[in-house]
Amino acid sequence: MEYLSTDKILVIDLGAALVEEEEMDEALVEQKIGGIGITKYLYEKYMDDDPIVIGTGLLSGTTYPASASAQITAKSPVTGKVCHCPVIYKLGVEIKYCGFDYIVVKGRSDTPVYLWIHDGVADISDASDVWGKNVWESTDAIRKFVGDDLLQTMMIGPAGEKGSDYAQVCYNHWSSPDRFGFGKLFGARNLKGFAFRGMGMLEIAEPEEFVEQSLELLKTVKENSFLENKGLAPVLDALGEEGAKEWMDPVTHRHSADYFTPYATNTAFFLDEDPGLLKESKKEEPGVLISDIHALIAFKKLGLSASDTGQALKACAKYGIDPFAVATLGKKTGLEEITGSFDAITGTIPIPGKGLFSPWCPAGPVFNDFNLSGDDEISAWWERRQAVAMIFGIQPVFALMCPELTEESMLAFANIGTGLELTQKILDAVIDDICG
Amino acid sequence: MGIQINALKCTNCMACEMVCSYHRDDGFAFLSACIVAYRAKEKKDYFGVLLKEEDVLVVARPDGTEINKLGEEADPDREADASAKPMLLREGCDLCEDMDDYGPMCVAFCPVDAITLD
Ligand code: SF4
Ligand code: SF4
Repeated sequence: MEYLSTDKILVIDLGAALVEEEEMDEALVEQKIGGIGITKYLYEKYMDDDPIVIGTGLLSGTTYPASASAQITAKSPVTGKVCHCPVIYKLGVEIKYCGFDYIVVKGRSDTPVYLWIHDGVADISDASDVWGKNVWESTDAIRKFVGDDLLQTMMIGPAGEKGSDYAQVCYNHWSSPDRFGFGKLFGARNLKGFAFRGMGMLEIAEPEEFVEQSLELLKTVKENSFLENKGLAPVLDALGEEGAKEWMDPVTHRHSADYFTPYATNTAFFLDEDPGLLKESKKEEPGVLISDIHALIAFKKLGLSASDTGQALKACAKYGIDPFAVATLGKKTGLEEITGSFDAITGTIPIPGKGLFSPWCPAGPVFNDFNLSGDDEISAWWERRQAVAMIFGIQPVFALMCPELTEESMLAFANIGTGLELTQKILDAVIDDICG
Repeated sequence: MGIQINALKCTNCMACEMVCSYHRDDGFAFLSACIVAYRAKEKKDYFGVLLKEEDVLVVARPDGTEINKLGEEADPDREADASAKPMLLREGCDLCEDMDDYGPMCVAFCPVDAITLD
């Protein structure tokens, strides 16, 4: 596969400590397009080994607006279903440029390891120094060891090592969309996580047209009035959570966006520092970056202040546990009780639709109505929208905000970028295959 | 004429970095960009934009913009971010002089209009 691709699939066997590469066949893209179209295909190909598959979308890491996302596809140890978890922040784009389009991890290592993947090279590295450490300590230790603060990680903490059903795979220092207990899956395989660094280059079939059309699309996207806002408070407000801004304001520092994403879907809280501080904080860990809309709402509904919510979210991110599960299943209301409850979280989180996509994402449109009406129509739209976002690599929350990012436009850009002739019929077939 | 960056508006999306690199390489990559969304102080939520011009490094921070002559160390503490070092090896901003249809790419693609041409 010549364009928008690194032309390689990585297959790692943790049990045999073997790393192999496969060529990325263009025919596979013609049939499955990319993202979860291909991670699901690879899961089924290696099904006997119950693999963990990581991949990027066909448009990830390009100039297509919000082309930020990658995906983890694996069988959830909680639901027993093969599910797809978005990879957000700047991690998705780092994976796109690390030298492999898809990564298949099979087997179980005898000893703790992490996978260090950079510039087309993959190492199974000893994780005995970080096993037992929390997510923040592990990410910091690996960055220090490699000597690169921009290295991006997927990491589990104590929750994953202990086999909690709500153990998350966290991204860098932060909570993730993982509501499937993928952290438990990593822990069971002695896999502490991944470190990624990518400095590669992607060729484009028609580069000038791709970039020119990207700018035209961006200009249309920017006409949306919701882009006058930033961060999570307006999202909570749009979802009907009253008083979110007033509640969050006392600890809100700044808002940041995932790669190439026009709306800043992340909000940082400063907890041990003045939130109005513009200078670099002298404190090492002044706060927490938040992307989990429903966890925020759930802690607010428990009656916590935004400051205590931030402390709870920070503790969850360090421990590597799903904060939404902690808030909704833990049945605790005080900060100390909450942070002391992590090992006792049990119960079930409802996963909407067919249970394939993370309920981390709001269950319907945000800021725009997409001309939808009625619960059934919204639910069917949501599932399809999640599938499409994760086939092409679009930030999945922004996909719920922005009607201009149509299936037609994603297909058109995929064709300009690859020189292939992907059609709506192929896309429909891929979505049918994913959603059943 | 030059690029002005409002680091307080910036959301650290890296769009400027990608399109600047594209204007040099005609491919998608980051390494050739002379404008970089720096993000090495992630836990401190401290981010802004670095711009390499012909003779100077512009450091647009939320607390203000510094212009440092290349080769001179401004404040060793603050210049320590990992993304700053390779900047010195990159070509300086040419205002995208060869991109007739666009003008400066970073200005055109910044989704929050944090970059302007003055
Ligand atoms: S004007 Fe062009 S060369 Fe200069 S920083 Fe912006 S994109 Fe790069
Ligand atoms: S494109 Fe704009 S918002 Fe994004 S990193 Fe650059 S200056 Fe910041």
